[in-house]
Amino acid sequence: MTGANVVTIRDLSKIYRQGEINVTALNHISLEIGAGEFLALMGPSGSGKSTLLHIIAGIDRPTNGECRVQDVDVTRLNESELADWRNQNVGFVFQTFNLIPVLTAYENVELPLLLTRLNRKQRRHQVNTALELVGLADRAHHLPRQLSGGQEQRVAIARALVTSPRLVVADEPTGNLDSQSAHDVLGILQVLSKTAGKTVIMVTHDPKAAAFGSRTIHLEKGELSN
Amino acid sequence: MGRGRFTSKRANFQTDLMSIGSFIVKNALRNKRRATLSILSVAVSLFLLVTLLVALRELTVPPEGEGAALRVVVRSRISIANALPARQRPIIERIPGVEAISPFTWFGGKFKSEEAMSFAQFAVDPVEFPRIFVESKVPVEQIKAFQADRQACIIGKITADKYKIKAGDRIMLSSTIYPTDLEFKVAGIYSGSIDDRNMFFHQKYLDESIGDPGEVGTWWIKVRSAEDMPRVVAAINRAFENTSAEVRAESERAFQLSFISMMGSIKLVVGLISTAVVFALMLVSASTMSMAIRERFRELAILKALGFRRRELFAFILAESFGLAMLGALAGVGGAYSLFTFGDIAKMTNGIFITFEVTHKIVGIGLLVAAGLGIIASIGPSISVARMSVVNGLKTLD
Repeated sequence: MTGANVVTIRDLSKIYRQGEINVTALNHISLEIGAGEFLALMGPSGSGKSTLLHIIAGIDRPTNGECRVQDVDVTRLNESELADWRNQNVGFVFQTFNLIPVLTAYENVELPLLLTRLNRKQRRHQVNTALELVGLADRAHHLPRQLSGGQEQRVAIARALVTSPRLVVADEPTGNLDSQSAHDVLGILQVLSKTAGKTVIMVTHDPKAAAFGSRTIHLEKGELSN
Repeated sequence: MGRGRFTSKRANFQTDLMSIGSFIVKNALRNKRRATLSILSVAVSLFLLVTLLVALRELTVPPEGEGAALRVVVRSRISIANALPARQRPIIERIPGVEAISPFTWFGGKFKSEEAMSFAQFAVDPVEFPRIFVESKVPVEQIKAFQADRQACIIGKITADKYKIKAGDRIMLSSTIYPTDLEFKVAGIYSGSIDDRNMFFHQKYLDESIGDPGEVGTWWIKVRSAEDMPRVVAAINRAFENTSAEVRAESERAFQLSFISMMGSIKLVVGLISTAVVFALMLVSASTMSMAIRERFRELAILKALGFRRRELFAFILAESFGLAMLGALAGVGGAYSLFTFGDIAKMTNGIFITFEVTHKIVGIGLLVAAGLGIIASIGPSISVARMSVVNGLKTLD
């Protein structure tokens, strides 16, 4: 279920300066990712896959090039615009879950909605829907420390989905999970892409995880290798 | 290609203060021991600051009542310890604008078997005294009894209560200045003055007991009006110029202030201590907030990733820092206010302070210092968070 491009990348480069040395993380990358696509980004450590993901998600800026997401050139948004854009268009799933430890699962999922115009009732509906989608409605009032790793990651997915973004980015979402939990999480991401039409971009080292995607691309030394 | 068509649909950040507030409170209290210690450090420091400010005020603020505004104190130009000749009285009385005059002679008596003097005693003119110290309230019959009996005295209510002295009692005082022990008959108890601890008795009684040397300690004068004050002061000073007993006449307020200055640079010392307290407090709070925020760099990076802006993160940090500081202020300033307002300060300080008023201004200063502290302590961490990129923040170890 892929359609028009959600992400269009043209001639994208990212050069880090480490002391006196320039390190090229991305070297003139061009890429298109369609709506509803589940793209797996693979490559060895330091190949630039996380950097590419970060730029697409608007949490890092390229040195050169253009990155349009849903027709918005995110490289040209200022800090505040970028924050708003992320809130409304991108869902994040991290390897280490990154839930706020003092907030319950419900409150963690609700966090991005505090920046929207939704009232409390509407927020409750959205949060409950997201938690049901990941099968954790009964754990809504548990703190992260009271959940297993797999459950924490599912809460993180619920948080990524709660604002109904078109784009979900996942940076090694199964890196800290056992195989069963990893399977569950990947299954959810797959469903999101196939049935909900979300564009999912996932960074992974694991070919089994990549197999859940609709397309896999490899990065090596900052360049696309296939 | 243009910049894109992104339009923010963001809500006002304060959409739901309850949720935001709950998030801030949970963050502030996530490390309960540190939060408690932070609050306590602010509380103790502000308690100390308030105590210092009140002590400074009590020591340095001169009487501001209507009576005090019309009183002139005349003392020896050389030193307050030098006596003045009693013959000066008629000269002063003749100066236009002088309404009443009384000697005011320090007796320095020890009461009972006490090692040190625990309250001050002054020999005065019993007839003129009530005209000069109008704020001291004494029942008419007691004042009449005081004036009628050369051995009579009146005692301030605090001292009377402390020693359970009542009208009609007889008390004995041994002077540390004059070679005499005097027995007094308590004619009355006064209250309502700025210092209800003192005792007043007849100058003539003292004169007789020490062989009438013709000297008094100081003169206290009541002038007719505030407008007369400068002229009367100048006239008194002029009247005794180039005599063997030159005087220094000044308003009661000026007298009290110069008296304080004789005790050393108390104001400066208290001011320096207060500044040191505030500065130390600021360092502690800033350090605590920095630690608290550093611990949460990763979480703040996540909030940034989720769409929270710098100013919203600053608001979180500020609210947390401000909240902790204000809780400390409530405990410290509130504790000082309660203790000094409802506690027996005379007992606590062994009579050094009779009143220890935590004024609204001092409460305000305490709260203001706490508020400033909360704001200043949040600036450093906020700048760090603002500069932090999401990517670098996410790399921070928990």
